[in-house]
Amino acid sequence: MAGSPETLWYKDAIIYQLHVRTFCDSNGDGIGDFPGLMQKLDYLQELGVNAIWLLPFFPSPLRDDGYDISDYTAVHPAYGTLENFKAFLAAAHDKGMRIVIELVLNHTSDQHSWFHESRSSRDNPKRDWYVWRETDDHYQGVRIIFLDTERSNWAWDPLSKSYYWHRFFSHQPDLNYDNPAVFEAMWNVMKFWLEIGVDGFRLDAVPYLVEREGTSCENLPETHAIIRELRRRVDQEYPGKMLLAEANQWPSDVCSYFGESNEFHMAFHFPLMPRMFMAVQLEDRKPIVEILEQTPQIPDSCQWCLFLRNHDELTLEMVTDIERDYMYDEYAKDKGMRLNLGIRRRLSPMMDNDRWRIQLLNGLLMSMPGTPIIYYGDEIGMGDNVYLGDRNGVRTPMQWSGGWNAGFSAADPERLYSPLISNPVYGYQAINVESQKRSQHSLLSWMKRMIHVRKSSRVLSRGSIEFLKPSNHRVLAYVRQLGGEKILVVNNLSKSAQAVELDLRQYKGSVPIEMFGGNLFPRIGELYYLLTLGPYQFFWFRLRRF
Amino acid sequence: METLLVEETFLDDDFLRQLMSVGEVDLLVGIPSHNNAKSISQTVTTVEDCFQQNFVRDRVVIVNVDGGSRDGTSEAVLNTPFAKSQNSRGLSSLRTLHRITTRYANQPSQGAALRAILAAADLLRARACAIISPETSNFTAAWVKSLLQPAYRESFDFVAPLYSRHKNDGLLARNLVYPMGRAVFGQRIRELNSGEFGFSGKLAGHCLNLDVWREEAVRTSPEAWMATSAICSGFRCCQSFLGPKVHSLTSSGTDIVTLIRQTVGTLFWCLESQPSFWMERTGSEPVATFGPEHELTSEPVRVNRKRIFDLFLSGAAELSDVLRSILAADTHAELQRIATEDDRKFRYKDELWVKTLYEFAASYHRAAIDRDHLVQALVPLYRGRIYSFLQEHHDSSPEDIEAHSENLCLEFERQKPYLVERWNAK
Repeated sequence: MAGSPETLWYKDAIIYQLHVRTFCDSNGDGIGDFPGLMQKLDYLQELGVNAIWLLPFFPSPLRDDGYDISDYTAVHPAYGTLENFKAFLAAAHDKGMRIVIELVLNHTSDQHSWFHESRSSRDNPKRDWYVWRETDDHYQGVRIIFLDTERSNWAWDPLSKSYYWHRFFSHQPDLNYDNPAVFEAMWNVMKFWLEIGVDGFRLDAVPYLVEREGTSCENLPETHAIIRELRRRVDQEYPGKMLLAEANQWPSDVCSYFGESNEFHMAFHFPLMPRMFMAVQLEDRKPIVEILEQTPQIPDSCQWCLFLRNHDELTLEMVTDIERDYMYDEYAKDKGMRLNLGIRRRLSPMMDNDRWRIQLLNGLLMSMPGTPIIYYGDEIGMGDNVYLGDRNGVRTPMQWSGGWNAGFSAADPERLYSPLISNPVYGYQAINVESQKRSQHSLLSWMKRMIHVRKSSRVLSRGSIEFLKPSNHRVLAYVRQLGGEKILVVNNLSKSAQAVELDLRQYKGSVPIEMFGGNLFPRIGELYYLLTLGPYQFFWFRLRRF
Repeated sequence: METLLVEETFLDDDFLRQLMSVGEVDLLVGIPSHNNAKSISQTVTTVEDCFQQNFVRDRVVIVNVDGGSRDGTSEAVLNTPFAKSQNSRGLSSLRTLHRITTRYANQPSQGAALRAILAAADLLRARACAIISPETSNFTAAWVKSLLQPAYRESFDFVAPLYSRHKNDGLLARNLVYPMGRAVFGQRIRELNSGEFGFSGKLAGHCLNLDVWREEAVRTSPEAWMATSAICSGFRCCQSFLGPKVHSLTSSGTDIVTLIRQTVGTLFWCLESQPSFWMERTGSEPVATFGPEHELTSEPVRVNRKRIFDLFLSGAAELSDVLRSILAADTHAELQRIATEDDRKFRYKDELWVKTLYEFAASYHRAAIDRDHLVQALVPLYRGRIYSFLQEHHDSSPEDIEAHSENLCLEFERQKPYLVERWNAK
């Protein structure tokens, strides 16, 4: 479906990712909740974001941070009620913000009533809702995703005395999509939330829905067929709603999830993310240019989703072995920072709290082709706590102020769902929203300006990209273009000042206007266009003809 | 004033622009060239293979400095395809591999080429560098690593190569440059004068700033000068074993007269320029060596010894008056005497050979005659020495030859006071 401007809202979105638990606690129980989040909508509106992606808030035993769902159509009581959610949704919509929620299609918690029924007896009508086998030798060779904790994709169920299939933790049994009743049940879940008014779903772990012997059990045609049917129903019954794929794959494989504009509207560009970090550390544009040049064209109505950091480890699955070793050595020297095939750190500590590098990475995020996602707290440069287990170190309470519990909760500190970051560099006394709001030069204020400028032109959200490749490899330059409108982006990936000569002859006669200050630069002529950039500096120029 | 300006701008603007784009590097490989279009692509590919295999994270550049090729050598450098990626996703090295090229003159000059490479190394703040000759047809990625690694990882400043050679190959080094260089400068570096060597960025900067670039010795044979500069200035030197050296079929080779003029001329000039360093020095010290210290092969080869001997006799006769003005009377007389010997019994013994060379060096110092003529006068004597060497070692094993070489070195060291005495004689 070729979308109308309104249905393509996701292309122009600035998405803010958060977990309700982490954001603001309104009732003093030490856990963030929907009423608390609702109080902070003004902050998000002021920041400039126009979409919020909520991590799972459903009832769950919380053994995988809510991705182990035990009831798809309710709100976890710690976070409030369904009514609280509806009120939050309405308030967000009033402020012009869309709400995207999680939908975990692939598996449930082993505490879900469906699984209880399924394991209760081999004759139960829901027995076939999960993938059961008598032996664990099926689907040999399929990779194990959580290498640090799981030894097999099969788990023994002593109750029904058989094995069940799980691609993630063993307490997350995979649903059986060969059973049409499962598909209908999940469609009913989607309808439930769409009726309430959510604007889209981020579909978790999409490539793994269907299993077939002799395959990798990933990206199978049957999985695509399921997605296409969901999309058909969404378009038909809820036009304008968006589906975002979590498929941690190479671009050429992810592209198939866009289909012919009949599967997902958006998908994460997983391989680009580590390469942005790599490029800045290497001071070389090669990793970024290389991966984007290998990224196939996607249908017009589709969009990549770009991010720097998120609630998971910085995944290094989509890099070569050499690149992974490099990333580990440069960004996770302490082995405690590593988890699975990734790095469990936040943006600011990875950048060693270097303001210029943080800004440069955000500049890349906002100027590359795709919709940017900001992970909560990264807009103020929050730190992490690698001593907390799993990925909890990047899921600590939002730091609102230097006061009691960082302004997150009135509870006793011991009662908080997670300790606050309290070290001298990244602690809430040093890094918090309140103090940064008071300075026009804070990272928060800079982020607001950056988002404002990004939103000032659809070229950055929808335009094409053409790399310029000047001889100075430490400079990454590209032209984004939409119709007649053009934006020139020039990034110095290096820690030292750089000069660069750009071949802009095809834009001869245009006048570059720097987008943050609005200043005119010399008109482009026949000669190479010379620019000098300070360490990690970047320019965005609108190319105008006068 | 005009001359000064010319000297100050020996790098052209285009080359500077390329250097600016490359920026700081960790490793630099310089490839001087002149009409090497046929072989240089392979050289570039091999160097980049080395980078990909051994220095994947490091900032690297290949600098080709060309002496006026008319066969498209520089274009071949730039157009050589980059190595195919090692992985199925088509993702190659972490970093951009840089190649830059410049033409330093319309005539080849080893000194000018080296100067341009040193300037590039200095401007790019390279930590370790290597010079590779495109005329060496059998060099491998391992060679490049062997030349770079000691400077990059072990903090050495000058890395001399070591080759596996046939016992009849490298005779100038074996009979003259190594033993004399060792005795004079006190360090046991076997290949002072080779087309391949490595060095640190620190040494590059030091040598670049020495006011020697208009000296003929440096212009024609800068390798030995750089090695002796490193020794005399207290830089850390080492040797690194590379393997057998085979010259490209397209290589024109260098005739013995030119070779002697360049190599011995430079060695004598190095003595002349650093007397305070070597005068007081006695004996010699081993240097750190990576890999085997030497490797000789001894398969039979045909050598026209008769022709070498004839050239010795005729040259020594023609230059008798010149030799008399260079050599001490007894040395000259002894030479006259051995020249009358039957070719089968002819021996140019170590003691006489060392004495001959030291007297040549002292005469060079005194500039008794035109220095270039003086060095050329050594050519027939060198032929005599080589004839003697080939006669003596026709059936020698590599071990025997090595033992003899060591004895020759010790003879040079033993007679060094004689050199000092002749050098200081009024």
